[in-house]
Formats: sequence, C-alpha cells, structure tokens
Amino acid sequence: MRLADIGRMCIDNLKRRKGRTILTVLGVFIGCTSIVVMVSIGIGMKESQDQMLESMGDLSIIEVSQGYNDMGNSSDTAQMDDTAVESFRAMEGVEAVMPKVSLSLEYPIRMTAGINDRYYCDWVEIVGMDTEAMEAMGYELLDGKIPGKTADEVLAGQYLAYNFYDSLLPEGRNYVDRWVGYDEQGNELQPDDPFFDPMKTPITLEVDMSDGTTEKKYRTELKVTGITKEDYGKGGETSEGLMMSVDSMKALMSKIKEVSGAAPSPKDNKITYSTILVKASDISLVSEVESSIKGLGYNTYSMESMRESMEESARQVQLMLGGLGAISLFVAAIGITNTMIMSISERTREIGIMKALGCYVRDIRLLFLMEAGAIGLMGGIIGCVISLLLSVIINLFAMGDMGSMDGGITGELILQALMGGEGISRVSVIPLQLMAFAIVFSVFVGLVSGYYPANKAVKIPALEAIKHE
Amino acid sequence: MEQACHRDRPVIQVRRLRKEYIMGEERVVALKDINLSIMRGEICCIFGTSGSGKSTLLNQLAGLEKPTRGQVLIGGVPVSRLDENGLAAFRQKHVGFVFQSYNLLPELTAVENVAMPLMFRGVPKEVRELEAKKMLCRVGLANRMDHYPGQMSGGQQQRAGIARAFITRPDIVFADEPTGNLDSKTTKEVMEMIHRFARTFHQTIVLVSHDPEMTEYADRIVTLVDGEIVSDKKNRGESAI
Repeated sequence: MRLADIGRMCIDNLKRRKGRTILTVLGVFIGCTSIVVMVSIGIGMKESQDQMLESMGDLSIIEVSQGYNDMGNSSDTAQMDDTAVESFRAMEGVEAVMPKVSLSLEYPIRMTAGINDRYYCDWVEIVGMDTEAMEAMGYELLDGKIPGKTADEVLAGQYLAYNFYDSLLPEGRNYVDRWVGYDEQGNELQPDDPFFDPMKTPITLEVDMSDGTTEKKYRTELKVTGITKEDYGKGGETSEGLMMSVDSMKALMSKIKEVSGAAPSPKDNKITYSTILVKASDISLVSEVESSIKGLGYNTYSMESMRESMEESARQVQLMLGGLGAISLFVAAIGITNTMIMSISERTREIGIMKALGCYVRDIRLLFLMEAGAIGLMGGIIGCVISLLLSVIINLFAMGDMGSMDGGITGELILQALMGGEGISRVSVIPLQLMAFAIVFSVFVGLVSGYYPANKAVKIPALEAIKHE
Repeated sequence: MEQACHRDRPVIQVRRLRKEYIMGEERVVALKDINLSIMRGEICCIFGTSGSGKSTLLNQLAGLEKPTRGQVLIGGVPVSRLDENGLAAFRQKHVGFVFQSYNLLPELTAVENVAMPLMFRGVPKEVRELEAKKMLCRVGLANRMDHYPGQMSGGQQQRAGIARAFITRPDIVFADEPTGNLDSKTTKEVMEMIHRFARTFHQTIVLVSHDPEMTEYADRIVTLVDGEIVSDKKNRGESAI
C-alpha cells in the first residue's frame, strides 16, 4: 500500500469518529499543555536566576587570592607573583589573567582637583593591574582609552568624581548625591553631574607622611585617560577607584618610600599581588579551572558554586513541574489506547475484509499507529498553541503586578511577554526547542499508546470477513 | 505458478485435508481427509447442507484457516504453509472473494470499494479508480459509482462485490454463498455475471452453496456430507447458460 493511501484512510477514520477523536485529542493537548507550561515556568525561573547572577558580575571570572595552609600561615609555595600569573595563563581553558595589586599605606591619602585644590576626597582605592589584559578580561570603558606606558596615566572608576567634596561650599551642600532615589514608577533617578569631569581635570594625589616633627608630603599629578564602567565582578575600583599599570604602581610606591625616608630593601622590586583575576574562556570551564588553581594552594572565589547550586535547584523544580505535567499526559496516553482499542473492536470485520483482500499486515499496523500518532500530533500542536497563550497571559499578569502595565495591554507588551527582552523577567518561558520537543513527545506518546492496539488489530484473522452476522 | 496454470492441470490440489475443532471438551471433525483437484477454468460448486463442512473447506482452500493436517496446493504453492505476509501477497496476486454479505466497507463509495484490492497492491489512486469504474460499468453500475453501500440494493452491492473480486483478474475466485441474501431474480443476474467473467478471463470459480439451483451454473458439483465428499460429478452437458 502507498503511504499516501494509508494516510488518507487514517484521516478518513479519524474524521468518521469525530467526537471520539476530538475527546482523545483533548486529553492529549491538556497533557501536553500542562507539561509545556510547567516546564516553561521552570525555565522562566532559571532565566531570572541567570539575569540575577549576570547582574552580580561576570560569571566566568575566578578571583584568586593568597592561600593559607593548615597552620593559618600563608602558603610558601603558592606565592602571588608573576610566576603564578604565568602558570595560570598557561592553564587550559583560561582566556585571560589579570594580576592586581592594591596600594596599601599606613599614611593618609588625599586626592584633590580643580583650582587651588577646591575639590578633595580623603579616601580612594588605588589598584595596579595588568592594563594590557583589561580588554581580554572584559573591562568596559565608558570614555577615553587604556593608559599607555607613562607613569602618571590612570583610569578612573565610573563614579569616582562623586566622592569629591567642594571645600568652598558649606557642610551639607558640599557634595553631589549619587543616590537620588526612585521615581513613582520605581525607576532609578539620574543623579546630577559631579563637580568636575575627571577626563578634563587633572587629579592630584597627596600622601601625607609627616610624623609630627617634620612635614613630609608626596604630591603627584595624575592624568585620567579613561573611565571604566562599574563592574563589581571585577572589583570595586571600577566604580570609585583609580587604576594604573603595575609598573606605574611600582614607581609610585618607590617614590612614596623615598619621600618617607625608609631604607630601601631588596624586597621592593618583588611584587606580591593582592588578587589575581582569572577569566575562563567559557562558563562551563570555570569549575575545572577553579579546581586546578585551588590544587596549587590558592584561595579562589567565583560565582560558579553559587550558580551550580542555583542551577541544581532550578533543575529539580523543573523536573518536579514537568513530572506533574507528565502525569496528565500519561492519563491522555491511556485515553489514546482506549480509543484505539474501541475503534479496533468496532472495525474487526473491516480489518478481516482488508486482510482477505490481500492487505499486508504491516500496512494494517502502520494504519493504526498512524491514527494514534495523528491524535498525538494534533494534541501536541494544539497543546503548544494553548501553552503559548497561557504563557503570555501568565507573563502579562506578572508584568502587571510589577507596575509596567499602566498603559493597558499593548501589542508591544504581548510581544515582550512572548519573547522576553532587556530587563524583562518572565515567569513562563517557552523556547522553540520546548515546543518542538512537546510535539515530538506527543507523537511519540501517541505511537507508544497505539502500539498495543495496532498489534491487536494485526492479529484479527481474515476469517472475520467470512463470518455471518 | 504461471506454468502450472495450463488447462487440464489442477490449479487447486487438496491432499488428505483434515480439520478438527475443539468445542469445549469435544473434538469435532469438520473435514475428514479430503482429496480434491480443481482444474483451471473450472466452475466448481461445493454443495452441502449447513454443517456439512463446505464452508470449512472453502476457508482452507482460500488460506483463511490453517488445516489440522494435510495440504492445500494452489498452483503448486502450499497455501496452508504460508505466513501472514506470504498469504497477503498470494491473495493480492491470485485470489478474489465474493462474500455472502457483500462485505463492502460502508464508508467507501462503490468506486473506492472496488478499487481496494488494487490499493493494497500499491496502484496509484487515479489508475485504480479508473480501472474500478470500468469494472463497475461492466457489472452495470455505471450510475452508482459514487454511491455508498448503504445507498444500494443487495443486488447492486453484490455486483459491486463481484467487480471488486474480479478487478485484479485473479486466477481463482472464491464465492461463499454469493446469492444467500438475494431474491431469485437477482440471484440469476449475479450468477450469470460471475459465469460470464469466469468464461471471459478463463478463471477458476469455487462456489460454495446449499442451494441446489446454484449447481446449474457449475461445471462440476462436489457434494459434502459430514466432512466427506460423497459425490463428485460433472454437470450434464453444458451448464445452464
């Protein structure tokens, strides 16, 4: 028999028993819908988790710090030096390595800017880092460029200028508030511009090493060549600090030492990094890279462990929700089997006649499998359509709760509920693969449910045709 | 097969065919070691009262049931040993059926019903329906092509059944009480039609009936009583037509 003929017979048979077909399809599409909607909620959960983690920093970055041995002493073998940087760089799956050293002094530091040092700031974090690795690490510049070789070139954090006070204004009005709060809709308000633009105004660094009797001050003017985008995953200095090359940092430290009058020591040229950032080339490699760094005796920190446990729990919830949906599909599968068995017992004579007229057993089996599969297919397709509708409705409700639906339901909102978007957190997410899987799975359930009835049909003897009623 | 189908060579050979049924605790012997040869082109009537085993014999000949013992050879092929697939292929090529209760599928039109055996062979829809229409014209149902069985009289349905049985030009057509549900006028029409087809295409007909009138249309009458052949005779002179 030709496949087209079997298909035509299959459709005719399903049409002939319309009511029963519709009811069976109803069962399948309810089962399919419940699986898709349940899983979509699980995916939505994961999506918002990922968005949350993303906002907390770059997930592929591992922060390496000095390791300590069992005695609580710093590890001798695992030094935070250039050798370590090189060994990390050589590891498989490492995209970039960024050594960082913070300036730590027992003397107060003050930054000033503007005419006659009008603006001042008494606290700043200064970090020396491998400026050449910044791009590879994913540092973003809002303005300007990465400093060159010149010792006085630095990068400023995005909000550095907000830390300055105006010495000419009275207490209370002498600074620009960065945290202006939120508007009625809950959106963050834009703060006013700071007193000056660090890109245009040179900043003077002043280290005061006076010891009561003698006044010792080191002053140096810094030129800001660029502004980094705030990213706490890479360090707080991207927000409110100053960044320079490691060489500039070395030069700065030796100058300070010189002015303070302390005796130079052979240790001065050997630098110990406070942290080393290691970026894995892919999120999936983070845990591998992290454990091999740990194996060398360093302390590490990354989002990986957090991400893993969150992912694990999301997976469990997804499985549970999917399992709930699967129960209804299972019930639907029994429905298909039931329908097919009924239809076969009604068609016993018909099958007998077909056999007597020379219809192959495989064609009869295929015919009934096709009918069952078609029920699954219809249920799957309708189920996906209904799931999409439900998903949009759920998302619209959730978005309505968050107050972004003041303008009523617009086409744009529906599109956002369906496709998601920047800053949209959806409760229910249906990726294309989920729909494709749901349809394939429904067909599969149909075929499995139809297997037993089809075999029953095949066993009906041709003799049935001869029997007299 | 083809070589075996010359005239005067048996197209059906039955050797020591035995069929027993288990009914509860009892064993009923339906056919007692039957031997029979039917020639190509012969119209053979298996005649007997109900319970004589004539229907059982037909089922064995057509391969609808397996014998308890013995053999049925059709064109030298042991039908009783074929598996499901072999039987289906065999029926497609060599066998046609005319049933007492017509057995047209109620959801199909006359054309679709008649074309069905060709559909099982994998003949494309247009080709097989054209062939079916030709057959329907031959049996005088030109104006009933798109009617459903429910819209046709018994005689018309049986004529469609005959068209279906002959559409594949089978070597043998089995007819099981083909006129059992028809009045005498239609019986005559139907039987003459079967007769004409068989003669035109030189086909073998195995006819099962309890109606003595049927024997008029046969070349040969085999009478069964209690599962045994009690008489096997040629029809005197030419058959009724």
